[in-house]
Amino acid sequence: MGRPGLNRRQLLAGAGGLAVAGSFGFAALGTGADALASDASTRVRYWNLFSGGDGYNMIAMLDAFRKDNPDIDVKDSTLQWGSPFYTKLAMAAAGNRAPDLGVMHLGRVTGFSPGRLLDPWDLDLLAKYGVREEDFNPELWKRAVIDGTLYALPLDIHVQLCFYRKDVLKKAGLLGDDGRIVPVTSVEEWFGVLKKAKKATKKGLQTIGLWVNDQNFQWWFFVAFYTQLGGTWFNDAKTEVTFDPDKATEVLEFLRRHITDGYANPAFAGGAGAEQFVNGAPFCWEGNWSVPVFDTAKVEYGATPLPPVFGRKATHAESHSFVLPHQSGRGGAANDGAHRLAAYVVKHALQWAAGGHIPAYTPTLSTAAYQRLQPQNEYVSAMNHQATEPKVWFAGSTGILAQRVGPIVVSSTMGSAKPRVAAGRMRSTLAELLASKNPMDGRTAAQGGAAA
Amino acid sequence: MTTTSAETVLRPARTRAAVGSATVRRKQGFQHGGWFVAPFLLLFALFVIWPLLRGLYLSFTDANISGDSPGFVGLDNYREALHDPLMWDSLGHSAYFTLLVVPCITVLAFLLAMLAHHIERGKWLWRLCFFLPFLLPSTVAGNLWQWLFNPGTGMVNYVFGLDTPWLTDKSYALLAAVLTTLWWTVGFSFLLYLAALQGIPAHLYEAAKLDGANAWHRMVHITLPMLRNITGLVIALQILASLQVFDQVVVMQDFGPGPENSTRTFVQYTLEQGFTTYRVGYASAMSIIFFVLIAAVALARMWLLRNREEGGR
Repeated sequence: MGRPGLNRRQLLAGAGGLAVAGSFGFAALGTGADALASDASTRVRYWNLFSGGDGYNMIAMLDAFRKDNPDIDVKDSTLQWGSPFYTKLAMAAAGNRAPDLGVMHLGRVTGFSPGRLLDPWDLDLLAKYGVREEDFNPELWKRAVIDGTLYALPLDIHVQLCFYRKDVLKKAGLLGDDGRIVPVTSVEEWFGVLKKAKKATKKGLQTIGLWVNDQNFQWWFFVAFYTQLGGTWFNDAKTEVTFDPDKATEVLEFLRRHITDGYANPAFAGGAGAEQFVNGAPFCWEGNWSVPVFDTAKVEYGATPLPPVFGRKATHAESHSFVLPHQSGRGGAANDGAHRLAAYVVKHALQWAAGGHIPAYTPTLSTAAYQRLQPQNEYVSAMNHQATEPKVWFAGSTGILAQRVGPIVVSSTMGSAKPRVAAGRMRSTLAELLASKNPMDGRTAAQGGAAA
Repeated sequence: MTTTSAETVLRPARTRAAVGSATVRRKQGFQHGGWFVAPFLLLFALFVIWPLLRGLYLSFTDANISGDSPGFVGLDNYREALHDPLMWDSLGHSAYFTLLVVPCITVLAFLLAMLAHHIERGKWLWRLCFFLPFLLPSTVAGNLWQWLFNPGTGMVNYVFGLDTPWLTDKSYALLAAVLTTLWWTVGFSFLLYLAALQGIPAHLYEAAKLDGANAWHRMVHITLPMLRNITGLVIALQILASLQVFDQVVVMQDFGPGPENSTRTFVQYTLEQGFTTYRVGYASAMSIIFFVLIAAVALARMWLLRNREEGGR
């Protein structure tokens, strides 16, 4: 028997090393020199989760702020979107190494231990920099207030939209005189529209892309249509599930029908829906962040809120908001700078609207510049018809609720579970979550979990 | 049956303890050897033993991510984990993945090694081709195959004329990860086999040839028995690695749990509980359960192997 010497040993040692060396993602901590910018007296550290087009727009707004406020040195860091961001933010706040300013989805603020991991906004300071409650949609502002205290400053709302191709719809006779899609007010009308659009669609393309297998999108669409039906989730005291399986079944059947009637092809689920749209598919349901994508692709398109097929207008909305991660000694110039920066960006959000988001600061919406934006001016009404997740600690963008309930919606849409069965599962999952304790403070939603 | 040196590395031969059994020599040996292993022991204690003990402690608490001092909850986390359908689901996915990957990779690695061993021209090229994917980081391998499996634009469906929704249908999503893993990691086992093949003395084959054994007989009666230990090693290493599958699967599913939760692995679920749901105590309990499971697999293998050796075959 030959003796393979050290080689194999080294190989095995190497294998052990590889097994141990997990891929640790390090936070994108500021790498610039730590010296203050030349004539600045205050530094504001700002963490956000904006990449791509949003990142570009945010950087442009920050540069404008820097120009107008040379005494403040903004040190911004962009971190990966999604759960990793919230984890880092939570750990930084817990370890008292938090930035002066952060960004969060509004729906997740309730579950983020406001008062423990988040500090409240100083309304007087905000007013000093020109931001007041009356400049916001009341429903939106209310979502940012927890136990009577403002913990988030909304920057925008971002909504789910029905994108349509004007060229295909024109051929199908579905465009009105104003060049916009004919209004749709019922389920049958909607499927009538799809039927006509399908006839006008090129071979090899589906009629509509709606992320049939994506747990987040399917959940967002469900929230929109369930809200259209007037469905509720929990009672006010958060002691009971008021979720209505009949209404839920109706919504799930509606979503499923897009596949069974041959309008959505599961092979083009996910991001392929947008690709098909660019290639000539007449419809896709996407977040408003797809606006710059379709602009770049030079598609002749329009966008409306999701069709009010159940009679009442409502489309899913989440919101990017500014937060103050907890610092034990919050105050002073850095805190003042954080208020000034957040107020500035909120008030100068026209640039932000180019990314498809609807600015939360309502005076922006009535400016001539905003009203000229296409297709933004077609869906700005979504601000007044927001369908949002319930205000509980386990809700919010890509949060626990979406992770638990989203796959159930997908199972119905994809046909692995009957809509009625799926609705029952959703209800029992909601009951389970309502009874569960928020790990941050050990309290259930009824006990005011996570509210300070 | 002699053990290969790969075995020796993993399991020091028991005869070695008998050598130098004189106390003096052993003492001296420790004095010198102790210093040599000290850096390793220090790091091992710091990065393996201490976190393990800390994790064990946390698994009996309701610790969250905020760093507040946690409360003691006894065995609650363990009780909850054992009744958590999502945990069993994710364990099932990891087990299913392991059951598919281990036999496939073992057979494939053996066949490729035979090919590379017997081929006369361009041997280095074959070795390089089979081993190269293993050098890629998991994110690269995952992303690469995400493109290849894309139903609309991917090469896999195009080449085979299929219309399979590889990544978006719960029936295929985990299978796609298995295929990716085969391509990505077979090179490692291939190399083990190749080294072992080269270690089989040529005179055995010559003798067999003289006795009139054909190629098939030579493989069945010489090659396979001589490779028995390396096969055991490959299988064991693959089981341990496959049970801990995580990175390529999450990369291919964009860090989600796959269509209808069909690809969420045990490690992924532990991570989600710890860092998405912030239940550090619960995640620690799951990690400990997993640690016990993996340790049991490793011990079972050692025990089986010892029995086989003592049985003389």
